[in-house]
Amino acid sequence: MKTQKVTVERFHLNIASEMGLRLVAGAGGLSRVIREPTINRPGLALTGFTKYFASNRIQVFGAAEATYLKTLSEEQRVERYGSLCGHRIPCFVFSRNLKPDSQFIKAAEAANIPVFRCPLITMNFINRATLAMEDMFAPTGTEQGSMVDILGIGVLIKGESGIGKSECVLALVERGYSLVSDDVTKVKLIDGRQIIGTSPDITQNHMEVRGIGIINVAAMFGVKSIRTEKRINLVISLCDWDDVTDIDRLGMEEESVKILGIPVPHIIIPVRPGRDIARLAEVAAFHTKLKLTGHNAAQELDERLKTQLQSRDITVD
Amino acid sequence: MSLVRETPNQAVVRKVLIPNEPGLHARPASVFVKLACKFDSEIWVGCNDDKVNGKSIIGLLTLAAGKGMQIAIEAEGKDAKIAVDALAALVEGNFEIT
Repeated sequence: MKTQKVTVERFHLNIASEMGLRLVAGAGGLSRVIREPTINRPGLALTGFTKYFASNRIQVFGAAEATYLKTLSEEQRVERYGSLCGHRIPCFVFSRNLKPDSQFIKAAEAANIPVFRCPLITMNFINRATLAMEDMFAPTGTEQGSMVDILGIGVLIKGESGIGKSECVLALVERGYSLVSDDVTKVKLIDGRQIIGTSPDITQNHMEVRGIGIINVAAMFGVKSIRTEKRINLVISLCDWDDVTDIDRLGMEEESVKILGIPVPHIIIPVRPGRDIARLAEVAAFHTKLKLTGHNAAQELDERLKTQLQSRDITVD
Repeated sequence: MSLVRETPNQAVVRKVLIPNEPGLHARPASVFVKLACKFDSEIWVGCNDDKVNGKSIIGLLTLAAGKGMQIAIEAEGKDAKIAVDALAALVEGNFEIT
């Protein structure tokens, strides 16, 4: 698992065009690290209260801050700017295209803190920047396995090379499901609980089929056969029939594996010639979907059996 | 966090530089995989922060390892040493089949 350092430069590059962010000062501080994925409005700090100040965050100046600053004298502003820039702030953003005054630019330049202007209104900027940062701060990793979206259930199919992963995926795509990634799946953890799988950019839409070579799935099966990202709901491990000894025959217990520290339901499917693995993967996905909606076939059957056994007890008495 | 350092004791790792222009593209990757598949050991190739199955063409392609970049060839299994030596020699020999 790794979380990349989020520098101001990376933040800027990622969202600049989308949100119309323009750098107006402090270019020398672009390598500053954003240590918290949230935004702060520095109103209180501007009034001089810095006992508790979330200086790790991006500081945004909106209409409220700008209006407040207008009530101050020039000396007061210079003093407050100085105290603000004395903190380890990643960067400042002026929303609503507000223009930072010359004293502010001077203070930011001196402290090497980047200053941006953004045309969005403050609330919009905060919402969008928070979402974008959540994405940038998400822990990521790589899973060995192919991923398919089976009617809304994201299935990661794992197994040793040569066990038939690609054939299974191909059969699923042929049945109308969508390929997310072949062989290598990038994973990221969103809001601390969802695992999202994507394909590495380079190999997107492509897969390798032994004996045929690399195929372009989108070109061959149409645009419905591909999907760029999908939450992982189920992990299927394909294992050699002889290697699987202890298997849950009822499916009553829910097994799970951890991806980026989050447990994901896990099913082991033993592979043997003649077993239609794609069909089994399909049923496993449907099964997961039913379980997600509150049905558990094995448990229901067991309940029925228990009720019947109990009523029989009574008749015997 | 480097993935290579987490290698268990019995695994064999060797780092090599990609010598050819433009790098580890489709053809060299296929030659590499063909050789890798001849060994029983599990084979992994690491580059930057990524680590992929050395027996998967798609996996190797995702590394996008260009000329001059370092890759770590890692094997675990009974023929690990031979596998790593053979694969490292293949890379250093410009992916020419010997």
